[in-house]
Amino acid sequence: MDAFKNKKLALVVDDSMTQCLLLSVLLKEEGYQVEVANDGAKGVEKYIEHQPDLVLMDINMPIMNGYEAARRIKKLSGDNLAPLIFITSMDTDQSFIESVDAGGDGILVRPFSPQVFKAKIKSIQRISDLYQQVKNLQQEQHKDAELAEKMMSEVIESRNFALDKIGIIKQAATMFSGDIQLTSLCPNGDIHILLGDFTGHGLRASIGAIPVSETFRAMTKKGFALIDIIAQVNRQLNDLLPNDLFFAACFACISSHQKSAYIFNAGLPDGYIFDENSAIKQQFPSVHPPLGILPKLLADSPLVVVSIEDNDHLVLISDGIIEARNEQGQEFGVSQFEQAAKVGMITHNITAHVLKELQNFCQNMPQEDDISLIDAPCSGWQKTLTPNQIIIPDSYSFEDNLYADTPSWSWHLHLTDKLLATVNPIPLVMNQINDIEGAGEHWQSLYTVLTELFLNALDHGVLGLSSALKDSPEGFSQYFNERSKRLDHLEQGFVHLELNYFPFAYGGKMVINVKDSGEGFDVLKVLKNNRGAQHESMRLSGRGIELINQLCDTLDYQENGTFVMASYVWHNDKASNFHY
Amino acid sequence: MAVSTNFSEENKQMIIMIEDRFDFSLHQQFRDSYSQCVDKNLNYILDLSRTKYMDSSALGMILLLKDFAEMNASKLVIRKPNETVNKILEIAQFHRLMTIEH
Repeated sequence: MDAFKNKKLALVVDDSMTQCLLLSVLLKEEGYQVEVANDGAKGVEKYIEHQPDLVLMDINMPIMNGYEAARRIKKLSGDNLAPLIFITSMDTDQSFIESVDAGGDGILVRPFSPQVFKAKIKSIQRISDLYQQVKNLQQEQHKDAELAEKMMSEVIESRNFALDKIGIIKQAATMFSGDIQLTSLCPNGDIHILLGDFTGHGLRASIGAIPVSETFRAMTKKGFALIDIIAQVNRQLNDLLPNDLFFAACFACISSHQKSAYIFNAGLPDGYIFDENSAIKQQFPSVHPPLGILPKLLADSPLVVVSIEDNDHLVLISDGIIEARNEQGQEFGVSQFEQAAKVGMITHNITAHVLKELQNFCQNMPQEDDISLIDAPCSGWQKTLTPNQIIIPDSYSFEDNLYADTPSWSWHLHLTDKLLATVNPIPLVMNQINDIEGAGEHWQSLYTVLTELFLNALDHGVLGLSSALKDSPEGFSQYFNERSKRLDHLEQGFVHLELNYFPFAYGGKMVINVKDSGEGFDVLKVLKNNRGAQHESMRLSGRGIELINQLCDTLDYQENGTFVMASYVWHNDKASNFHY
Repeated sequence: MAVSTNFSEENKQMIIMIEDRFDFSLHQQFRDSYSQCVDKNLNYILDLSRTKYMDSSALGMILLLKDFAEMNASKLVIRKPNETVNKILEIAQFHRLMTIEH
């Protein structure tokens, strides 16, 4: 840019030629270029034409006086601060007040010395420079915020699972929200849900959103248990966030085939399960400080386990809903929220009804905090999932036998004693399989089979828990309490896990052997009980074995139930083209 | 002043009191109130008996004060939160991180 363009431009509006000349000389000495107009109307025209950096305005002029011209210029300048100084010989309070009212940024009363004039110009220019700096900063901030918002909504939330089934309210207080809502599908068909609220709102509140969502998704996809994911998110945020920033969050896992939900509330208002009669079945108060504060999760904060029915709904909220205020300063509050959600259960649209009630309550009050809610049905996921689609397991064809001679690879893991309480081998196994054989839809059912077999070996074998405990909803949580108690005190025991893989021309067979150190059980009895209970759909226990039986080609319990051999067979699409 | 401090029990306790609203606008004032007091053996008391409302950034500020107290081999005690404020502390499960006297 050349020096000429860098020069500041001043506009002098005065009907006296002498005054114009005098001011022009002084301004030029200060490094300004000068434009001159001799009445208010001309002044406005020249302002539009030249967009000057500074305006000097006489008050009494023909055609349009200085006040009117100043008003028009200020209106035209909009966001731009074009400093405007009135120059007058009227030394009265009234003229001073009117000057400010008309939008003047300063007033100079004649007579003044050249030094005073120049000092005034400098001071007003300083203010205008500051204003410009602030404006530039604001624009930059706005651009950053827009980018972050785009990332939040497109990268993070559009990748959520089953958005058609899960109702979500998300209303940010500023351009974008410090609240995040994530849903993700586990390999075994369970759903992981997260509603979280970072301290504050706006950009500052969203720093952690990307790492949290990455961790949540990646670990869910690999088959990690909910509590492992929570522990990892906590660790990550503790490293990442400054000490006064934290993440209040509620995590939930809905397992349709186990008929249970696992919930962990760290610092959010109560979560809810509503039943089909729209009554509150259970509430989940916060049991842990928000994540990111402590380096490790507190030891005595287990997941809450609850048995669920098909028509139940899980509802999670952030404090923005409870604390929303009306014009009188009253809060929307817990009971109004609960009422709105209950009605929403009846009308099958919780999000719409809660939003409507909230708007009726707050009317036009500006929103102070981010508002969010997740409404997840407790069933209906199966339709999109593999395990229940494959009722009849694949079995050998004649051609397969040509291949199924020796395993192409095998893998085993012998977990003992205290490691049984801390290591979840299933994600490890699934990683191995994915590394060797590549990813594929058919591994989803295998994941379920492995999980069930391992949990049976650990719970009923090593820990000696009776699955009959799970028969009643009360016993259900008792079971899980007892389970974590026994795990904590586990001194010895083992689970041996072995996989042998036999590739076919179009598919393959995985033979899974699991041996545990427990006392075994009466296999026939368990299977028979389950069959009998199928239609009543009452029994919560023993579900695992029935499910494995459905998914596997063969399932064989030996050694008094302490050793099980299952074979899982799959064919890829090409196989269906072959007819023998 | 929304944030005031005084010393009691022969200068063994520093009491920080918050009036009315405890929110982000007090950030600087709150930090200034304790950051110069690095005397060992000093116990830090946060008196919330006159605090009517508290937001989540106030929770963050309390965590900073707690870190500060622990850095000086001391501890932080929260005193007499009203019902509204206590509800917020309870949801955040702060009683598991520090002492709250009612």
